[in-house]
Amino acid sequence: MSVTIVSEPHEEGMHPTLPQLVRAASIIGGSCTVIIPGGNGADEASKIQGVEKVIKLNGACFSVFDSSTWSAAISGLVDGTVLMATTPIGRELSASIAAGLGRSVVQDVTSIAPGLKLERPSYSGKAVESISVSGDAVITIRPNAIESAESGGSADVSTVDSGENLKIAILEAIAKAGERLDVSEADIIISGGRGLGDQSNFEKLESVADSLGAAVGASRAVVDEWGLPHSMQVGQTGKTVTPSLYIAVGISGAIQHLAGMRSSRYILAINKDPEAPIFGVADYGIVAQWEDALPILHEAIKSLP
Amino acid sequence: MKVAVLIKQVPDTTARISISGGLVDEGSISKWTISPYDEYALEAALKLQSESGAKVVAITLGPQRSSKSLIDAAAVGADELMHVLYEGDTGSLSLQSALAAAVRKSEADIVLAGKQAADTNSGSTAPGVAQMLGLPCVGLVSEVKVVDGNFVATRSTSSGMERVSVNGPCVFAFDKGDEELRRPNVRGIMMAKKKPIESLSPADLGVSMEDGGVNVESVGYPPEKPAGQTFQGAASASEVVTKLREEANVI
Amino acid sequence: MGYEALDFYDVDSLLTDEERMIRDAVRDWVDESVIPKIENACREGVFLDEWRQELGGMGILGAPLKGYGCPGLSYTAYGVICRELERGDSGIRSFASVQGSLAMYPIWDFGSEEQKEKYLPKMASGELIGCFGLTEPDYGSNPGDMVTKAEEDDDHYILNGAKMWITNGTIADLAVVWAKLDGVIRGFIVEKGDEGFSAPEMKGKHSLKASVTSELVFQDCKIPKDRILPGVKGLRGPFSCLNNARFGISWGAVGAAQSCFDSARSYAMSRIQFDHPIAAYQLVQNKLAWMLREITKAQLLAYHLGVKKDSGEWVPEHISLAKMNNVDIALEIARVARDIHGANGILDEYPVMRHMANLESVKTYEGTHDIHNLILGRHITGIQAFTREA
Ligand SMILES: Cc1cc2nc3c(=O)[nH]c(=O)nc-3n(C[C@H](O)[C@H](O)[C@H](O)COP(=O)(O)OP(=O)(O)OC[C@H]3O[C@@H](n4cnc5c(N)ncnc54)[C@H](O)[C@@H]3O)c2cc1C
Ligand SMILES: Cc1cc2nc3c(=O)[nH]c(=O)nc-3n(C[C@H](O)[C@H](O)[C@H](O)COP(=O)(O)OP(=O)(O)OC[C@H]3O[C@@H](n4cnc5c(N)ncnc54)[C@H](O)[C@@H]3O)c2cc1C
Repeated sequence: MSVTIVSEPHEEGMHPTLPQLVRAASIIGGSCTVIIPGGNGADEASKIQGVEKVIKLNGACFSVFDSSTWSAAISGLVDGTVLMATTPIGRELSASIAAGLGRSVVQDVTSIAPGLKLERPSYSGKAVESISVSGDAVITIRPNAIESAESGGSADVSTVDSGENLKIAILEAIAKAGERLDVSEADIIISGGRGLGDQSNFEKLESVADSLGAAVGASRAVVDEWGLPHSMQVGQTGKTVTPSLYIAVGISGAIQHLAGMRSSRYILAINKDPEAPIFGVADYGIVAQWEDALPILHEAIKSLP
Repeated sequence: MKVAVLIKQVPDTTARISISGGLVDEGSISKWTISPYDEYALEAALKLQSESGAKVVAITLGPQRSSKSLIDAAAVGADELMHVLYEGDTGSLSLQSALAAAVRKSEADIVLAGKQAADTNSGSTAPGVAQMLGLPCVGLVSEVKVVDGNFVATRSTSSGMERVSVNGPCVFAFDKGDEELRRPNVRGIMMAKKKPIESLSPADLGVSMEDGGVNVESVGYPPEKPAGQTFQGAASASEVVTKLREEANVI
Repeated sequence: MGYEALDFYDVDSLLTDEERMIRDAVRDWVDESVIPKIENACREGVFLDEWRQELGGMGILGAPLKGYGCPGLSYTAYGVICRELERGDSGIRSFASVQGSLAMYPIWDFGSEEQKEKYLPKMASGELIGCFGLTEPDYGSNPGDMVTKAEEDDDHYILNGAKMWITNGTIADLAVVWAKLDGVIRGFIVEKGDEGFSAPEMKGKHSLKASVTSELVFQDCKIPKDRILPGVKGLRGPFSCLNNARFGISWGAVGAAQSCFDSARSYAMSRIQFDHPIAAYQLVQNKLAWMLREITKAQLLAYHLGVKKDSGEWVPEHISLAKMNNVDIALEIARVARDIHGANGILDEYPVMRHMANLESVKTYEGTHDIHNLILGRHITGIQAFTREA
């Protein structure tokens, strides 16, 4: 058995998901080769325990993401099961590699057990599939679903050059607009209520939201009283949202507010009143003044690996 | 120019999913719709139809009930409808082969699809079909235009947006765009009912739906969340962040 | 996303595929374009012009009429459209009823070829708005005694009189006006801008606030001869229009009732008093069960009336019964729903009080509840009881 990991290029060295993929490879068993398109972070990769070989795959084509060209460059090098991370690039590239090799692909695996027993969510998390794989497949693994492998390895690093030509040309890069995500689309929402004390404190929620890629929501009380846009209002007469994570800061959890957010997958509440009804639906409740808790929360988020 | 749009029929995203005997109970699903991202692909195809005179062929693979999504596509303006009729479950490989064969048969120049389906949530179809057709693929696209004979697409990247150009046939996988989706009008609905659907079996396309390797053993409900936990004091915030990462896996 | 309607007996499974597709299209439109905007429109007392354009764009105006750019749908489809629109607001449905059944229909059935070609395609597309002038300040339930009259004057007719309670009046490009010519009721098309014609809006309504209601005033109003509807004389003209509009109302009321039920149910599930959701109490369940019962019956009634209308095997009394019953139960459901909402029920955060106030008009217009009783009474006994004269 062998496993080939295709590690997504990353600007600052090795892609942070690589140690997790190595860990997954060790569960599958057999030799583990890491291919890094563009070659960034190969040295770091070689020091992860369990990696046998690192291939720096160099070529002009790696300046632009072009899945069909990249998969042509990569496919010849892979051996055995192929692992990638479930990122936008990982999804597209893995499917392309799989189809090119005439294999099946399993995306967004959240659990992996020996004998290639996999689990993955479907129907937007409303169901979980248990999958068994025989033979060589291409698999993407959800970031942070699996622990990282330890460091302490010393794999061989070699270089392969690819002469593949890009089929896609970039005409223009458009920087991310400063626009906020809409609460009805966001996977993480941080909402503020009257407990924030003043409208200006929403800036603090916004900076946490920026670190999380989250949208900012609000309770009706502050939408009405501070004149915030109605589109931010979560609740019965606002938006009904079902993000993976809903963070309620200084919101009491009135029934009308709960109506709009209680089906969120996880709810974190920060409120100074231990009796606040929001704690009744919270998966994680922090009883504290938000002025104290939010900076600590923000720092902890920023220092996540 | 001919544009193929790959459309999948899925349970409405608000539908409750019931599971029995290790399978999703399809009978309990009251409402089926076109998978949301596919609707953006269809909208983009209809834009190419009105702006560049393209013909739009809507293609679906699925059981009999999924022909409804083709009629819905016709109601907003799809010119041709092709149904690869297959009642069973599909693996990614056979599905992609059958769709690629259908695209070939339709003689479409470019292919638009959603970035991922609302049921399987995989996102393999567009890049897989591209590979099988020997075409490039551009993902996370919100817009495609024809500019001087090239296809110019806007796609999102980790750092923002990018306008990319492809100078020949290509597969584009659509994300949600800014475009408002058009609504069918009565005339469209009445014409849709008269539009013929070309119905083909995988065998007609020379494709076998046997797909070794990956086996969905069973489907179940996600595990129950642990009971709510309460922490006293601001300092606990960092512990909670760790739990959000490790226990809940949401950040 | 999609609104899932209360349909306990799966009555909609009896619809054709196209009827269901039309239903879904209208339903989605109501969710996206009516419900988020209706409260504001009511507060400001306006019918949004975008609604006119979008209704026209969907191609549902004048639904059951064929030819001249009209949709040519079944009456059942027309009913379904009314039901979906009225789930949003009775005012939106009123606009569509008046445009299709009261203004387009008489031109389509009784108009000259030139009139049909001139007006119908643009009315179907929403480009031109029509209204229907029958009721007068002193003649409501008995329009036969109307006093508005027309006189010949060379190549013109001169109209004098006034109509009241005219839906769409002020925003209309043309009015189908019923007036007496030599003592016989005839239909006339009066266009906005015709000499001697004005249509001031009636303000201060507590009901149908998102619908425009107006007076039509004719002071030596001069219209060309070719504006008379050649095909009908007498009360049959306006009454055949009313049959179609009433048919639509019998469906529409079900939509308003469904909206009230939905709101009451979800409120009852989430409102906790005495430690439990109020939905857990028998008295509240009784109310909800009663609503479900009446709505299901009304749905079946409307559907079967649609079948009869489409097959041509109907009499006006069939329509009277459905209009009367369905509006009656919808109004009662709105009141009970308001009660279930407690104080919240009086706020415009919830649709119930708006529906309730709207339905008061719906109960009165197109033949009051009791006029329909009298129609049925005459049908049963053979004795007319509208007047005290024999
Ligand atoms: C018909 C109707 C519809 C409604 N629809 C909605 C709706 O859609 N959405 C909605 O949100 N509401 C809605 N409401 C209003 C709802 O009932 C509540 O009034 C509202 O949600 C309260 O907002 P809040 O939680 O921000 O304020 P409050 O209830 O005032 O709660 C503030 C909370 O902040 C906490 N707090 C104060 N200071 C601090 C601090 N320094 N640190 C930490 N915590 C602190 C307090 O302990 C308290 O729990 C509706 C009401 C009605 C009648
Ligand atoms: C919002 C709105 C929009 C309208 N739009 C239009 C329109 O577009 N075009 C148009 O022509 N009209 C329109 N109308 C007018 C409507 O059709 C009349 O209001 C209706 O016909 C009733 O007439 P009325 O109001 O004069 O009441 P009346 O006829 O005075 O009735 C008052 C009461 O007396 C009862 N009654 C009357 N006669 C009898 C009887 N013989 N026996 C027992 N009870 C009786 C009635 O049932 C009612 O309860 C509209 C009305 C409203 C409220």
